[in-house]
Amino acid sequence: MILDIFQYDFMRRAFIVGILLAVIIPCIGVIVVFKRLSLIGDALSHTSLAGVAIGLLLGINPILGAMAACLVAAFGIEAIRKRLPRYSELSIAIVLSVGVGLAGVLSGFVKNAANFNSFLFGSIVAISDFETALVIGISVLVFLAFLLLYKELFYIAFDEQAAGLSGVPVRLVNTIFTILTAITVSVASRTVGALIVSSLMVVPVATGMLLARSYRQTVVFSVVFAVSATVIGLFTAHFAGTTPGGTIVLTGVVLFLLALLAKKIAGSAARRRMKGAVRGDK
Amino acid sequence: MPDESAISVKDLSFGYQDTLLMDHVSFSVEEGDFAAIIGSNGTGKSTMIKLLLGLLTPTEGEIFMFGSKVEGPTHSGKIGYVPQNGGSNASRFPATAMELVMSSLYPQIGFLKFPRKKHREAALLALRQVGMQAHAGTLMSELSGGQQQRVMLARVLVNDPMVLLLDEPTVGIDAAAVSSLMEILHKLNIERQVTILMVTHELYSVAPYLNRVLCLSDKNFAEDEIPEGILVHAHAGVHENTHEHVHCAACEHAHDAEHCSACEHIKENGGEL
Repeated sequence: MILDIFQYDFMRRAFIVGILLAVIIPCIGVIVVFKRLSLIGDALSHTSLAGVAIGLLLGINPILGAMAACLVAAFGIEAIRKRLPRYSELSIAIVLSVGVGLAGVLSGFVKNAANFNSFLFGSIVAISDFETALVIGISVLVFLAFLLLYKELFYIAFDEQAAGLSGVPVRLVNTIFTILTAITVSVASRTVGALIVSSLMVVPVATGMLLARSYRQTVVFSVVFAVSATVIGLFTAHFAGTTPGGTIVLTGVVLFLLALLAKKIAGSAARRRMKGAVRGDK
Repeated sequence: MPDESAISVKDLSFGYQDTLLMDHVSFSVEEGDFAAIIGSNGTGKSTMIKLLLGLLTPTEGEIFMFGSKVEGPTHSGKIGYVPQNGGSNASRFPATAMELVMSSLYPQIGFLKFPRKKHREAALLALRQVGMQAHAGTLMSELSGGQQQRVMLARVLVNDPMVLLLDEPTVGIDAAAVSSLMEILHKLNIERQVTILMVTHELYSVAPYLNRVLCLSDKNFAEDEIPEGILVHAHAGVHENTHEHVHCAACEHAHDAEHCSACEHIKENGGEL
């Protein structure tokens, strides 16, 4: 039976954590995509690896190390972005370089390589009670903040200058959003993997954008596609014996390709109907 | 003594780094004016709009809006601003016309608060004012350039502004859309006494609606009457496309009576055309 999967405690936990992250990561993703910062997840997750290495070297919880590194990196991106507003993507490339460089150098000093590697591709089926509680707490916090700041984040993502002119406290909202992004990426790195978290941030949003007819629909569809990819990916990984993180992301890409195909078919059908109507008029 | 002008700029100088862009500029725009700023590229027309909005700080001099000194963005929504290429930029964002107009209601809704029914009604009313209520649920990317620009105008009208600052609102839209947009602005100017200051390179198409032109050149403003040649040319363009053309006593310009809603309004109330 397919549902036998839920008799295992670690699988139940994996589904809870996976679905919670699949709800909050696209919420963050929608804003970073529309702020033209799609690769911020990559920069932060790679920097989180440097934090993991620092945590392992100093003997503190690697997730806390990852969180601290992500926060520093996220504020670094924001600071560079303000100084180079026309080349905002450059800020990501610079921080990404620092993160990869630091992670590469520091990982050489880490004795427990297996622990470090678990952050590269994640280990959603092997997370502890503490990590589960952390994900639940952070998910609730991020989701509530996203709902409360919905219109402010929408306005800033659309036009930061206009938002400021209307009285939106742009700096405060950007700071809150930066913190939320950093903690989401760092906690997601542990579960789905640092190399994969960025894909979860962007791919469901791209899929949602293909089919949505409004901003609100884009947000809802992105979350629906991310949750679908997570659930299908976890089932597939369990029965096919593949890595959960990678399978979730690949499922997300398959959903994107299916949405692309569906849109193309719908477009062709609409064009045929229009041609038929024009001929009928004649 | 406080200056009662809608916009008053006194002895203003501004430059970027070592380049002086404006040198002791002074001018005023009175309440109810429909004025244009013209000038060559790089003379500082858009910069002047940003100075008026408080987005830039003058090196010297002062700016007043209805007697209050501008010392930064006002946030009230009473100074409406339509940026350059606003419509085409909006089309890259996956939002509907209604969602974009709703976002502009921020000064009325407030931080961390949710919009209510009255806010949705206000947004729909603003879209109706620009003839876009039927497209409230349409994605911006699916609207034409002229329609996008009308939605951008609805975004500022929703806050019932006293002054409209428009940065090249007619760029990239066809002649019919320009005419439609200008008629909406004309109606706002005549019926609601909204003061309008617009940067434009297309004086020929907008001249019939203006009562003042400010020409920015050589780091300063020269206030011009609308050049006679331009007016004649513009009116001739209107004549070519309309059956009937009349002189409006209210705005002192020529219009097609069927298309000028302000004139229609006056005619309905026994006014003289």
